[in-house]
Amino acid sequence: MPDHPRRLKRSGLTMPVVTERFINNAWHRGCDFINMDLEDSVPPNLKDVARNLIKESIPVVNKGGADAVCRINHDLMEADLNAVVWPGLMMVNYPKAEHAHEIRRMDEIITRLEAERGIRPGTIEIGANIETEVGVTNAYDIVSASPRIREFGGASGYDMSRDLGVEMFVQFDQFVYGKGEVELTARALGVTPHATPFTPNLTGSVSDPDRAFAEADAARRCGFRIGGGLHPNVVEPQNRGFTPTDDEVADAHWVIQQYRQLSHTGDTWLQTQDASGQPRVVDRYEAARAEELLQWRAACEERDREKNEAIARVRAAEASA
Amino acid sequence: MTILVRRSNLVIPATQSRMVRWAWNLGADAIILDLQDGMPPSELETARDSLKPAVSMVAKGGAEVFVRVNAHSVYADAAAAMCADLTGIVVPGPESAADIAEADSILNELERHAGVARGSAEIFPSIETAAGVWRIREIITASPRIRQVIIDEAELAASLGIVQGSDPDPFVYARGRLCIEATAAGVQPIAVADPTGLGIANLGHDDLVQTATDARNLGFKGMVCSHPAWVNPVNEAHTPAESLVDYYTQVREVFAQALAAGTAAAPFAGRMIDVPVDEWAKDVLAMSAACAARDAEKQAASEMARVWQDTFGLA
Repeated sequence: MPDHPRRLKRSGLTMPVVTERFINNAWHRGCDFINMDLEDSVPPNLKDVARNLIKESIPVVNKGGADAVCRINHDLMEADLNAVVWPGLMMVNYPKAEHAHEIRRMDEIITRLEAERGIRPGTIEIGANIETEVGVTNAYDIVSASPRIREFGGASGYDMSRDLGVEMFVQFDQFVYGKGEVELTARALGVTPHATPFTPNLTGSVSDPDRAFAEADAARRCGFRIGGGLHPNVVEPQNRGFTPTDDEVADAHWVIQQYRQLSHTGDTWLQTQDASGQPRVVDRYEAARAEELLQWRAACEERDREKNEAIARVRAAEASA
Repeated sequence: MTILVRRSNLVIPATQSRMVRWAWNLGADAIILDLQDGMPPSELETARDSLKPAVSMVAKGGAEVFVRVNAHSVYADAAAAMCADLTGIVVPGPESAADIAEADSILNELERHAGVARGSAEIFPSIETAAGVWRIREIITASPRIRQVIIDEAELAASLGIVQGSDPDPFVYARGRLCIEATAAGVQPIAVADPTGLGIANLGHDDLVQTATDARNLGFKGMVCSHPAWVNPVNEAHTPAESLVDYYTQVREVFAQALAAGTAAAPFAGRMIDVPVDEWAKDVLAMSAACAARDAEKQAASEMARVWQDTFGLA
């Protein structure tokens, strides 16, 4: 399988593809990806209509630089894949993944459709969402089933809470074990973990920007990089929360500079004070973390530039039309 | 699918005849008659002799009845318990599928001898060791007789050399693993009320309900209660509250209206209602109905028992 560039997924909006005004307005929201839903937000009687809207919706959601994602139905996987695997689609989200054979079947179908439809082999990612207890218990086999899985997570949310028989919004992390299993599986198999640390949420609000920022910021500090939501209000806070701040960038430069000085001394670590006078230890772990932070910040800036340029191009074209 | 309502599982020492006589009246969904570890052999013999009548006695109020057997005398203990009123046996400390297979074959044999329907007696594994926690999947899938499973946290603490206290909680992983693996296998995870053995002296009714509610929201379907005072709070916590039933009734209405209007995503009270929320609403309402049916069943049995007692002086 050829190497494919890692795509950023700090922010994303999930919307029913049948709601035209959502699809038509999503491109300028500034999200890294747009998730066109065929699953839970689409009524059963509109499933056929919905899947046939994906091909024409891909360029619509793509035009502001967001990557196009489609969430298909677990029980309609083959019919949905046939309708959604088209050039411009980055990823198929597969809900309630429970067994490796489901993923292998998806991989076969996508491989055939890529060949038939002029898509570079291996382009389309599979997002295998863990939303049931059975899925958690088979996590390792699921991720191992296809190299198209480049991110992996779940084990929380409404479906999971229902399967476990628990209320969704409580004061403690009822999903801590499942999330841990899924994260360890992702890291052990070298794919990006998709998870969030627990932050109490008793309101269940999907549009609170402060909450979205706090969640994204906490997730980034725990080593997570992937966001997503349901309301335009949360896009900017998620982009911001997942992007290292200027202070963090300055600090990372300082750590790397301190570490470079170590190389002249023969020591492997040093204890010093940072710009704010706090005692700090600098060693190769801290230096590696600082390097990663700078790379991530550069990738975020590049992604933001890409999207801003795409949005500006569309606006200019619209103005001249 | 029928819902197994087994919220409170009250433990009664099989040797304490006064408690055995009273237990049916306490409102427990299930009662576990405990043939405790370390009983002198003569006492154990006496307990076994009176076990079948004890099973029938505690079942009078509609409770399902388990007998907790000893790991070293599963056959003799189960044989003493086997009767039509027995729901199953609690098997302590299984560490592999083989441990369950042995209990399963013992029950097959005893059911045949007793003329009880084959496969009717449940096995309720009580995990007590690290090996049991690690191999939980093979243990709980080793027999179709298993419908619920528990980690005996006091025993696990002892086997791990942990001096038990609630802060920091040493069993986040074990408890999470139990809930995930059991639910995945279609087996009900059961919690321990008061795992640290602190008693209930400083806890009011609301504290007990909150503790049991937290367990429910980790995925547990019921609790083993070592003290009768836990029974009502545990039943209450595992029965959907009226406010919850009202809320989810509204959720179902909002979602039905949304579907009629051509969308399966609708805002309601700041939240987003879509398919999984509606499905959960159905589950909560079904659970509420199942709990009501179970409570009515127990009440009818208890009333009948009181009539017999009053009429014929049968205690």
